Order: sequence, then structure tokens, then C-alpha cells
Amino acid sequence: MSDLEDSWDGLPTGTPPVGAIMAAGRAEAARRRKLRQTVVAVGATAAVVGAFVAGAAVGNRPTPSASRPHSDASPAAFQADLEPAQSCAELLESYQDRALELVTAYGWGREYDGYRLEESGTFDSRRMENLSSAKEYVPLSGQRSQSSSPTGTNVQENGVDEPDTVKTDGTLVVRLRGSDLVVYDASGPTMVKESTTHLKGLEDGQILLSGTTVVVIGTNASSPRDELTDRRRGSRVITLSVKQPDEPKVESTVTYASRVVAARQHGATVRLVLAAGLPMLDFLEPGGKVTEREALVANRRAVRETTIKDWLPAYDSGAGSKQLLDCTNVAVPDTGGLDTVSIVGFRGTDAAMPHAIGLAGATTIAYESADHLYLADAPSRWGCGGCRTARDIGGGTTHLYDFELDGVDAIHVASGEVEGRLADRWSLDEADDVLRVAVGPSSETGRFNSIVTFRREGKELTEIGRLDHLGKNEDLKAVRWFDNLAVLVTFRQVDPLYTVDLTDPAKPRLLGKLKIPGFSDYLHPLSDTWMLGVGRGARGAQIALFNTSDLKDVKRVAVETYRRSSAIAGSDPRAFTWLPKLDTALTVIRKGDRVRIAAITVSHGKLSSSLTNVEYGDDAAQVRTFGLPDGRVVLVTGEDVRFFTLP
Amino acid sequence: MDATSEASFAEFVRSQWSDLVRAAIFLGAGPHEAEDIAQQTLVRCYASWQRVTDASNRDAYVYRMLLNQLRDIRRTRWWRSRVDAEADAHVDDASGQVVLADAVHQALDGLTKEQRDVVVLRYFVQLTEAQTAAALSIPPGTVKSRLSRALAALAGSHHLSELSEEHR
Repeated sequence: MSDLEDSWDGLPTGTPPVGAIMAAGRAEAARRRKLRQTVVAVGATAAVVGAFVAGAAVGNRPTPSASRPHSDASPAAFQADLEPAQSCAELLESYQDRALELVTAYGWGREYDGYRLEESGTFDSRRMENLSSAKEYVPLSGQRSQSSSPTGTNVQENGVDEPDTVKTDGTLVVRLRGSDLVVYDASGPTMVKESTTHLKGLEDGQILLSGTTVVVIGTNASSPRDELTDRRRGSRVITLSVKQPDEPKVESTVTYASRVVAARQHGATVRLVLAAGLPMLDFLEPGGKVTEREALVANRRAVRETTIKDWLPAYDSGAGSKQLLDCTNVAVPDTGGLDTVSIVGFRGTDAAMPHAIGLAGATTIAYESADHLYLADAPSRWGCGGCRTARDIGGGTTHLYDFELDGVDAIHVASGEVEGRLADRWSLDEADDVLRVAVGPSSETGRFNSIVTFRREGKELTEIGRLDHLGKNEDLKAVRWFDNLAVLVTFRQVDPLYTVDLTDPAKPRLLGKLKIPGFSDYLHPLSDTWMLGVGRGARGAQIALFNTSDLKDVKRVAVETYRRSSAIAGSDPRAFTWLPKLDTALTVIRKGDRVRIAAITVSHGKLSSSLTNVEYGDDAAQVRTFGLPDGRVVLVTGEDVRFFTLP
Repeated sequence: MDATSEASFAEFVRSQWSDLVRAAIFLGAGPHEAEDIAQQTLVRCYASWQRVTDASNRDAYVYRMLLNQLRDIRRTRWWRSRVDAEADAHVDDASGQVVLADAVHQALDGLTKEQRDVVVLRYFVQLTEAQTAAALSIPPGTVKSRLSRALAALAGSHHLSELSEEHR
């Protein structure tokens, strides 16, 4: 290979700032749309009334706009402890006080914090994956393997199912394609389509399956769009019975005036984390005859004139709009951003009766263990806005809220905080009543990654141990949690894989460090001895086999490379399936517009792989595979659901 | 943009990021600047993603946007390259990148701008001949002739040793 080719491969290119690009792209798209609207408005006005009105049309048109708030960059040093509001008046006052700090002459702050990474929960990319529900203590040499959830989804936590576009109970395959729910019978020699049900008013949905009840969770297509993010502000939850697969019956439709941050299922209980967003008020913008000062005065007045209904979300299960949260069921955190987060629980068969409690703050990350829900906010990034976000390091403090789950109810039991920034929900894990958190480089700690452990003490999540200096100047790419072990991958120049002993949560201990070229952004444990890593090398996607029998000396024993391709499992683990009976992993690989399934068989420490073209173009994100109890494999593509014969 | 398109766009960003940054550096940008340019290019692509999807040739479009972005930056902020190079030199973890980028710029210095565009898009990014032609708005035959001249020039300067490999 020549010098220049070496240079090409050797140039480090940082982590793609996907969140920042998407946020800036959304803002840019909204700006262009607004520009078009303004031009149209000017044109229309000018034609009818005369050109002199045009200035007023541009400047005076009240422009309701809303954005997510900045989080507090310098939170108080004490631990947060949530207190529910005593009355609606008290709650409204706290909303207004904080809103007055945010509101500007241009509405909810012109400096939209678009670079905040947002976990739109189920509907978002996942860069990390973790495992373990760990009610029982398992020794370090304990079983380390992961299989898909009973509905065929590769999930974060055993026993906690996550929504996806396709689910199975072993016999039926239920698939949401756009707004159509399609039910297939997979029990015969071929896949038989039983029914297609069109779900009105639903966009971007995903499904959960509990018995014969399908819970569809998506965006409410008739809810207003947020001006700045262009996202719908409301969600829609539809439950259907598929007892008769050829004739699914809609049992309930509930709309919420909030968007879905996360959705999870424990047994028959469905839990949603919803965020209401800031109210859309008739803000004035400076321009024309309106001065900045006049606009600010008017906008502050608009905030003062809000009522509690502007802040608390409503829901409608068909019998008219109702307030989802009681004022006295909403806690006001001491610090953090302004928003209203609802934690909603219901049984799949009783979706019209949601139980909910609220948090009058902004949280963007939700992680659910077997019996706890943890919410975390994302400190705003500091440094230069808009430039070089790829190499900014996170600053500030992340607040953690711990809720105990009791059937459909959630009870806030503790709060805590950690210096630095959480990448996403895969950064959190609970085992044996210890919360373990992986935090990235931060202005508070330094340019390295850390593992911090917490235990509930009274109403506080108290830090009990930490391990710093993991991957100096490196970005955390993946973490996989076990009961008393964490495996981390960082990335920049060399791409180390760390093993951390968590047996004593007060003293996380670095066991080993393997330096390898190329990194894994998804790790999947096969057994105590073997672990697969899906990631990227200099030349494209790579799948590596690690021998983890000696945790102090993990070895990479085999690598398969797919040139100029990318592995979707790195960002969405649902595009990865481990078939234990066949010792084979299926993962979706994309090369340009071609979408392929790579079947990788693990045998005696070696990998063999074959590729099958399955899809072309935009539907890559829809491609899924899963195994049925009888050993057959189902392949879901953009248009089709069929049995897949392994090459 | 709906969630499905967003997911496919996010995947597109992840899969294209490295090549875009590297291409920007090979086309003359500093390492920091290259990441900014790649980011801005992708932000612009987001806003017109629907159009990009419809236009059967996405890769060509993105690299066309990248070239536009580079041109705009050179035009309006020509002075910045020096400022950036200095800024880069002060960031310790990027100094290796700066040295590497300088070496690349020197190696490609003997090429004309036209040759450089073709060699980066066709040879390093590995766009097809048709995509390269579309990105640069030139006929495919011109891609071929420019590429062979560019590769010959590079071979003469001993920066590329194996011309046959990769030359699809």
C-alpha cells in the first residue's frame, strides 16, 4: 500500500457528531421552512393590501416558538431531593420563575441548545448496549451470555422488553410498516399474511407484544409540530387484540400531549416516559416597529399569564381531554432544565387508565432495570456553539432520579448527581442494588472516561466508588455490563478494550487492557469464553471474536472485515441476532445502498462469514432477523416478512 | 423528516463521516476544518435529504455538497486556513493529525485542482466513475482521462506505488 493510502487510512476522523448534525439539520430545515412561509406571507399580503404592509407581516407576526431549555450549567453542589408540589399555585409559580429566566425577546431563547444529545428513547440510535438484571449475585466466572427477548428483540435488560417494529410470540409475527399493522402466521411451512390493519393518525410507531395484546406507541399525526425541532409534540398509543389474527381488534386509543422519550414493558405492564416540551406561547419577535425591549416585555408577560394547563400535559382516551398529572404528583427538582416529564404506567389490557407521576424538569435519558427506573438529564455542552462539536468535551453535572417500580406505579425514591456526561441510556446499569454509570470526558473531571458506582442511602444516591482515567483523550464507544464486570471500548488513536472488575462496587478495579486497531461499538457476549464485537476498522465494518476466558488478558482471536461497509448493529443492536443453537450471529451490513445480512458462524475460535443481499436503499433501518423456537429464522425487510435460509 | 428517514440519515452520517473528513483533508483542509466542513455538509444534506433520496445518486450529491462547502469556505474565509493551522498546532492530541495532513497536502501539491478532485473522489473515496462525473459535473470520459493523468503524476512523485490495485 502506498504512502497516501496509508495516510488515508491513518487519518483519525473522530466520532461522527450524529446528534449535533441531526439537531442542526432540523433547525436548518425549520429555518428554511419559516423563511418560505414568511416569503409566502409577504407575497400574499402585498398582493392584497399593498407593499407597505410587508414589513409588518415579516416583523410583527407573532411567532410561537418553543425549544428545549438549557440545563443549568452550574448546578448546586448538593444532592437533589425531589419534593412534590403542595398545590397547583405553587407548581405554576415554580414553572413561571424558571421560565422567566429562559424567555428572551425571541421567545424561548434564540440559542437553541441543538447540540444536546437527546434520547428519543425507543426511536433513537443506541451506541451502547448493556446487560444484566442481576437480582441474584453471580460470581465473576458466572454465566455471561445474552439472548433476545421472548418477542425476538435484542434488548438492554433481561426481563424488560423494548419496542421494535416487529415482534413475535413464536407463532405469530406482528409487524408495523408505516401506519399498517400486519399480522403473519409463522407456524406453517411458509409465512402467511393474516391481516393488515391501518392505524389512523399514527406516525413513526413501534410495537410491544404482551400475550395477544399489541401495544402500538408512536407519534400523534394530528398533534402540532414544534416550531424549532419540527417534531410532533404529541403521541398516540393504540392497543389491539390479535386473538383473532385475521381480524385484529382495536381495544383503545389514547393520545398524550407529550412526546415519547422511552417505552418499556415488564410482563403485562407498559411504562412510558413522556416529555411535554415548553408551552407554545404567542411570543412576539422584534422587527418592524417592535423593539427588542418591547418584545421581551411582551414575552415575559406571556410567561406570567400562563396557567397550569399550559405546563401540564393532557391525555385523551376517547372520553375527552383530561389532565395527565395532578399538581401534587409533580415533583420540582432543584436544578436542571425546564420541561415536564411524565412517567406513565398501564397494563396492556387497560391502556385507557394510565397512572402517572411527573417531574417538572428536563430529562433525556431513561434506563429501566427489573424494578427501578432511572432518569438522567444531559448537561449542556460548553465551548463554542456550533463549531467543532466533534471534539468538545462534555461539561457540567448530570442529575439522576431513581424511581422504584410497583406494578403500574412509579415512586420516586432517591436522587443523585454525577460530574460529567452520560452518552445515553446504555451508560447506566443496576445490579445488586448498585447503580453503575459510565461517564465520558467532562470539564469537571478531565479528558478521560470513568466508571462511578452509587448506592441508595436514604433519599440519596451516594457515590460509593469510582475508577477514573479509562481511555485518556479517547471517546467511549461501547460498554457492556455484567453483574460484577464491565467491558468498555474507547476510541481515537488506538482502540483499547478494558475489563473492569466490579465485584467490590466500592473499588472498581481495572483488570486488563487490550489495544487493537479498529473498535467495537456493540459487544455481544456468547459465553464465558467468547464475545463478539461489531464495529469499525480503518477499511470498513468489522466483526471480531474475543477470547475472554482470562479477563486480565482478553485476546482478539479472529476478525472479519467488510470493506467500505458499515454494520448497523453499532448504532442499533436490534439489527443483531445471536442464534445460540446454530452458533451463528446475523447482523445487518450496509454498503452504499446495498443492505446485506452477514451470517457469522463461530467455531473453535474461528469466524466464517457469508453475505446475502436482502434490501436496497432506504429501508436498511427496517431490516431485522430473529429466530423462532423451532429454529427457523425470520427475515424482515422493507416490504417483506419471510423465512430466511442461512447460507 | 419522519423517524424512519431520520434513522436512515443517521446511519448515512455514521457510514460517511470518516470518508468525508478524510476527503476534506485530502482536498486541502486542516484536520479541524475538515470536521467542520463534513459536519456542515451533512447539516445541509439533512435539510434537503428528501431531495437527495429522490435523486438516485446520493453519494455523488454529498460529495458535490462537500466540494461546494470547501469552495465557499475558501472564498469567504480564505484567511482562515492559516489561523486554523495555528489553532490546530496548539491542540496536543491533534498535532499528529496536523503533521499527517501537511504530508498529504505536500504529496498532492503537484496536481491541478481538477486532478486532485478526481483522484480524491474516484481513487480514495472510491466513488464510481459515473458518481464522480455527477459530483464534478464533468463527462465520465473526462474522469477517466484526468484520473490517469493524476495517477501518473503521483506515481512519478513516488507517493503511490501500486497503481493497478483498486483501480476499478
